[in-house]
Amino acid sequence: MTADYEAFRAEIAAWMQQHLRGEFESIRNCSGLGDAGYDPKLAKRWEQALARGGWVGIGWPKEHGGRALPLAQQVVFHEEYVRAGGPGRLGHIGETLLAPTLMAFGTREQQQRFLPGILAGTEYWAQGYSEPNAGSDLANVQTRARLEGDSWVIDGQKTWTSWAHESDWIFVVARCEPGSQRHKGLVMLLVPLRQAGVAIRPIRQITGDSEFNEVFFDGARTAGSLHLGAPGEGWKVAMALLGFERGVSTLGQQAGFEREMACLIDVARRNGAARDPDMRQRIAQAAATLDALRCNALRVLAQDEAASGGVPVSREAYIAKYVWSNWRRDFGRLAADVLGAAACLPDDDPMAQKLRQVWLFSRSDTIYAGTNEIQLNLIAERALGMPR
Amino acid sequence: MDFTFTEEQVALRDSINRFLMKEAAPELLREISETSGGRSRELHAKIAAQGITGLSVPEAHGGVGLGDIDWTLVTEELGYHAIPDSLVESSYVATALLGSVPEAGALREQWLPRVADGTAHISIEHPANPCVADAHLADLILAIRAGKDGALELHAVSGTGLQRSTQVSIDASRRLAMLPQKLAASTRLLTGAGVQTLADATLDRAALGVAGQLVGLAQRMLDVSVDYVAQRKQFGKPIGSFQAVKHHLADVVTKIEFARPVLYRAALALQRGDRHRAVLISHAKLAAGDAAWTAARKGIQVHGACGYTWEVDLQMYMKRAWVLDAAWGDRGFHKARLGHELLRDGAPLGPAATLQ
Ligand SMILES: Cc1cc2nc3c(=O)[nH]c(=O)nc-3n(C[C@H](O)[C@H](O)[C@H](O)COP(=O)(O)OP(=O)(O)OC[C@H]3O[C@@H](n4cnc5c(N)ncnc54)[C@H](O)[C@@H]3O)c2cc1C
Repeated sequence: MTADYEAFRAEIAAWMQQHLRGEFESIRNCSGLGDAGYDPKLAKRWEQALARGGWVGIGWPKEHGGRALPLAQQVVFHEEYVRAGGPGRLGHIGETLLAPTLMAFGTREQQQRFLPGILAGTEYWAQGYSEPNAGSDLANVQTRARLEGDSWVIDGQKTWTSWAHESDWIFVVARCEPGSQRHKGLVMLLVPLRQAGVAIRPIRQITGDSEFNEVFFDGARTAGSLHLGAPGEGWKVAMALLGFERGVSTLGQQAGFEREMACLIDVARRNGAARDPDMRQRIAQAAATLDALRCNALRVLAQDEAASGGVPVSREAYIAKYVWSNWRRDFGRLAADVLGAAACLPDDDPMAQKLRQVWLFSRSDTIYAGTNEIQLNLIAERALGMPR
Repeated sequence: MDFTFTEEQVALRDSINRFLMKEAAPELLREISETSGGRSRELHAKIAAQGITGLSVPEAHGGVGLGDIDWTLVTEELGYHAIPDSLVESSYVATALLGSVPEAGALREQWLPRVADGTAHISIEHPANPCVADAHLADLILAIRAGKDGALELHAVSGTGLQRSTQVSIDASRRLAMLPQKLAASTRLLTGAGVQTLADATLDRAALGVAGQLVGLAQRMLDVSVDYVAQRKQFGKPIGSFQAVKHHLADVVTKIEFARPVLYRAALALQRGDRHRAVLISHAKLAAGDAAWTAARKGIQVHGACGYTWEVDLQMYMKRAWVLDAAWGDRGFHKARLGHELLRDGAPLGPAATLQ
């Protein structure tokens, strides 16, 4: 707990100051769509700048082109990144979800083919899990895949696919054994999105923006070698990937919450909400819980790092998703209350605008990456061993 | 206290419900809210033809002269159908305001018949709200604002030629505007201590109108959620069969059922001019807001990702509820009013004061 990374902190801060300027000025402090000035094309160029600076894959092993930095330094990076106003990371699905799964299950060829593109910020990935009839019940996946000569041919539909419209590739959970049921007979495929067999339709969200999409596969193709793990073993691979979703990838998110909290306090001070005793208590409570979330994240990650080299194994990881998502949903409500009647109006104040975004976006936190109800079932069944 | 409504009151509510079900379907409201003005003359004319715009207007001016209790049932229906119109402000709150100003005789003659027949709209500017709802449609704006000496004044501002910058709210059905900083002296209708009383009465009536709409919205969000969970299947059965999902919606109906009596008591208090009316209305608005926020939160949760989309109607009701909850005194304001009343020196407490 005591290591001193002052020099490392200063290095990151200096790099950010030098690079997050010029054309990137407009995406400083942006989390994503909905923030004025955010532009996915620019966000990709920013990812490439980060990559050139050596800031992508900092925790990856050296053999895969990473820097193998210990967890504590990864934490410092995320903190300094956010402190400097670094924008939301467009590359995180590739960098923090797919890459570790490729390292664990991929062939040497797959790793050599895909890791460099992720590391360089030149290839972007989408997550093809959910379908119209497979949301919480992911094992009900109906998208079909069959081997035809040396290609996989895919038919079916995915939905709620975040950033598919800005991505180059998608990892798809599909059924490769006709007639198979539930967790059996699935395969995880790596599929190029830009091809005739794939159609992407954006879905408009309550925010008015479209970050997620429907993705239709109609005879879409990928090379016969691009299954991750063995055909039939797709469920195991898909679950391992979800494990990474609950792991180190939460660090950047956590740092983002700290930024939102500062923003809320700033607005509350300026508009007088901070003088209201009830509001003061709620803000203090939110800040205290956020602090506990941070401590818990660091504790759990350290525990996992020591035990298994970064793969989350502990029950605390499930609990953490439940707690942070509910914290953020309540925080969104607090943001609306701090804004008061002004919550409903677009205005020029970037801080107020940010809070408004957080308020609307946080309505979905308890839904994606496992709904509240599913998380509670998991905690009860897996962590407490209660009957199913 | 008698919580039963008269047969006429129930019949009025039911007929308005049937009418709006047919004429103001969610698809139509969506279309209307996407137009630049956000309003449909045609729908408004139909609403007027039903007599809804003239409910508060005295019979002498072409209306039916109903009071706060009748209106409360009506506002629940208007909320339930998310009517994209500040109908409540014009036909209920502003009409009552004009009715209570002795000096407004000429304005009443001029405007109330037109409010009743749906050809005129009155908006209200009030210190409780940063903006004026539907000012772009207003033929007349009743503005309560501080004058030079800080004391409140009542202005009657004609909409003709008035410059208004309209803003869209996160609730796409709403249109808000700021009026000019300076109003001409000639628009001043009333000054003096009486304006504060009018301002308070206006806030109370408007807050009650919002509370009614919030209860209606909560009920609508509950109804669409109950329907959805019966149809949506996961793990081979309707998600409504999972206890976690059932409990969410059971929580919502509990909130609604505990907001309704509080709402009705507040309406009674306002209609009778009860001296506790302000605090009872604050309670009603808080309870209704709580029911609506809960219905929104649980509603989106049981809809899963669908509830987070623009395409599913739930979002219209949620946004309308959030926005109305912050209008006419936000939660902080109404909680403070409640606390102040209970804790002030000499507050009438105990059974003698509360069991009336
Ligand atoms: C912003 C956002 C981004 C997303 N991005 C992606 C993405 O990039 N890729 C991807 O694959 N998916 C993505 N998703 C989809 C997400 O994973 C699903 O929304 C989630 O798994 C829930 O599925 P559903 O929406 O079908 O809800 P449903 O599964 O239909 O659930 C509806 C309700 O029923 C409850 N329920 C269901 N089963 C049970 C049970 N057994 N017990 C108790 N309650 C139950 C749920 O908890 C919920 O309250 C995204 C979703 C959102 C909101």
